[in-house]
Amino acid sequence: MFKLFEREALSVEEFSKEQTSVDVRHLCVSLNAKKVLNDISIRIPKNKITALIGQSGCGKTTLLNSFNRMNEFISTHEISGEVWIDNRNIYDKRERVSRLRSQIGMVFQRPNPFPMSIYDNVSFGLRIQGEKRRRFLDDSVEKALRNAALWDEVRDRLFESALTLSGGQQQRLMIARALALEPKVLLLDEPTSALDPLTTLYIEELMVALKQQCTLIIVTHNMQQAARVSDYAAFIHKGELIEYSDSDSLFTMPNKQQTEDYITGRYG
Amino acid sequence: MISKLSLLTNKYVRGDYAQQFKQSLLEVLAMLACATILIVLVGIFAFIGVQGGRYFMPMSAYQITTVHTLSNAQDVQGKGTSVPDRSVQKEQIQYTLSHLSAAELASSLQQKLLIQYIAQTQEMPKITVSAADSLYQINTTSGQTLVGKFVSLQEGSKVSQSLANLVVLQSEVARLQQNLSDIQIQRLQSLHRAISELDNKQVARDTPLYQTTLAEFMLWQAHANNIIEQIGSYKINIRLDSGELLSLAINKVQDIYQPNQLSSWQSIGYILNKIVVFISDSPKQASTSGGVFPAIFGTLLMVIIMAIIVTPFGAIAAIYLHEYAPDNRLTTTIRICVSNMAAVPSVVYGVFGLGFFVYVLGGSIDSLLYSDKLPSPTFGAPGLLWASLTMGILTLPVVIVATQEGLSRVPSNLRSGAIALGATKYETIVKVVLPMASPGILTGVILAIARAAGEVAPLILVGAVKFAPTLPIDGEFPFVHLERQFMHLGVFIYDGAFHNQTESQVSSLMFASCMLLLLVVLLLNLSAILLRNKLRNKYERL
Repeated sequence: MFKLFEREALSVEEFSKEQTSVDVRHLCVSLNAKKVLNDISIRIPKNKITALIGQSGCGKTTLLNSFNRMNEFISTHEISGEVWIDNRNIYDKRERVSRLRSQIGMVFQRPNPFPMSIYDNVSFGLRIQGEKRRRFLDDSVEKALRNAALWDEVRDRLFESALTLSGGQQQRLMIARALALEPKVLLLDEPTSALDPLTTLYIEELMVALKQQCTLIIVTHNMQQAARVSDYAAFIHKGELIEYSDSDSLFTMPNKQQTEDYITGRYG
Repeated sequence: MISKLSLLTNKYVRGDYAQQFKQSLLEVLAMLACATILIVLVGIFAFIGVQGGRYFMPMSAYQITTVHTLSNAQDVQGKGTSVPDRSVQKEQIQYTLSHLSAAELASSLQQKLLIQYIAQTQEMPKITVSAADSLYQINTTSGQTLVGKFVSLQEGSKVSQSLANLVVLQSEVARLQQNLSDIQIQRLQSLHRAISELDNKQVARDTPLYQTTLAEFMLWQAHANNIIEQIGSYKINIRLDSGELLSLAINKVQDIYQPNQLSSWQSIGYILNKIVVFISDSPKQASTSGGVFPAIFGTLLMVIIMAIIVTPFGAIAAIYLHEYAPDNRLTTTIRICVSNMAAVPSVVYGVFGLGFFVYVLGGSIDSLLYSDKLPSPTFGAPGLLWASLTMGILTLPVVIVATQEGLSRVPSNLRSGAIALGATKYETIVKVVLPMASPGILTGVILAIARAAGEVAPLILVGAVKFAPTLPIDGEFPFVHLERQFMHLGVFIYDGAFHNQTESQVSSLMFASCMLLLLVVLLLNLSAILLRNKLRNKYERL
């Protein structure tokens, strides 16, 4: 009887190699001579939504950025440890960073469409990869827009400026732009913090649907959202990974006092 | 009423009044400053516009009669009898054209005389100015303006008193001239070529072929001379103010009219004609009449070449400084230096251009490529290319600074968006950043163009001259002659201002050129601003 309602959530320690999408080992990151992440080790499961929660400035975004090496965008950085994606350490010297970034999609807090047409925005990544076949580009753009649940709204104005879209549409366009490259991992950095509740709901549904295709890692300040959407959740505090488990247990019966304090809103 | 009063008293009580007074004082001062600037700006435009516009207005013809009284009459005192006045009056007549009204002209002449006669005992001559409606103004093809009374038209020995025949004669002259050019182009040219070819082949002069060709050439030459003589026989006779009879060949007459009897339509025609001549003709009579086409052409060409040179250079330098250069003290120093380069006096750039580009660079180009021509320089002399390069260096900091500003205005989340999609830094810059920074780059180019078009001092040193016989672009191979000297509107004005400050005609030509320079700069700016706004609309967020 109870079995019926129980989720088949695996314990975070039990992921096999096949089930793991991102494997972080002893990651330490300093940005501008300030230690931001301290010895983080975390395994993020494939085709699941993992939420990173914690107060502002705790290092969630830095952790997210370490998955596609966006931290190197900041001038002074120091990174030690390993991040394994697809059986390779992305911090290896031989790693081609731009190729890596094309395989890991990222959606930012605020929609940042390029000042080009909708079509050009979605096909931007593919064109950068040297894709020139018009037919293939057309198909990819349509597929990505369908996956981002935007196709029906923009099919008649693909060649209008992306800036004419509303905020929610722009954010979905950003998801479509990332999806056009068919990434294995999709990183979402507070994707709904600038959107209204209804649009947020829309994007959350979209994230659940996208689980089929890729692993999603989401940074969020919204506890309800994290509880609603994610399969697993990690609580980070002051650069340390405090607790990581499946969302049901983390949000209902956290092991650590700090976690409980945070999710019940006592601090942060 | 009471509540209002209480509010007022409240204000005083709380000391708000002083505060408010201070605020309104500042406001008034700011408004005054703005108004002053506006008035000055409008004043400049109005002054240049009025002074320059006068050049195009038709002038009236006046007859100035100056009566000198050469007095040798002596009043014999004490005898009570007066000796008959033996003073001699000498009348002098002068024809003149002026924008002024008769009274204004008279008073201005009077004033001049006053200065002239201030230290002399002689009696001042009397001046009367009257509109001379019967006078004709003749503009010759060489740019001269003549004023005089029409006497007759002459066709060989036939003389007619009516000016109505002029049209007939002019068409006759035009027909003759057409004949002449036909002969010159179709016959004489080919014959001349044939003869020189024979000369080249060293054919003896007494061969029949040579003889017949030469005879034919002579025949046509005589024919042509005959026509030239015939053309010369069509004349118009004018009596000038000195009383001298002037015979002018009709083909030298560009137009003839009575300036005081122009109808309003004719006046408009005159103005339009003058504008067209001003824009399309080259300067005549030592830059006192004619047009300024070579100067417009030279200015535009120089500015365009400069823009072609400076835009990519400045943009690339700015991209390096803004995007790639490490953030250290050296970069900061370079940035400061670049900004300060804009403050270097332009004549310094001119001297640099002369010393480096003309003498060093041009000299070595000459010795390498044009050594056969050498004592006379090809690139080793001031010319269009060096002027453009010098102006390019002069305006480089402007472009760099504007581009840097444009680059820093591109939001960083667009860069990270492109980077996150797998674009390299180069791809991000080329595909995302540069298109968005293009309005900034264009702003720089606009400023550069405006600066270069108005600059004078460095241009005098590196290639702009007051009169250039040929344009830098013509039909002669290789069509674009970058080594040639050129004319520039700013230099033309500078030169005109020195020429002849007293003659109103010349100075109004200078003012007209000034107005044109303003218009050219405004036009260049306007087109660039429109282009920039178009780009802005495309790339700025909504």
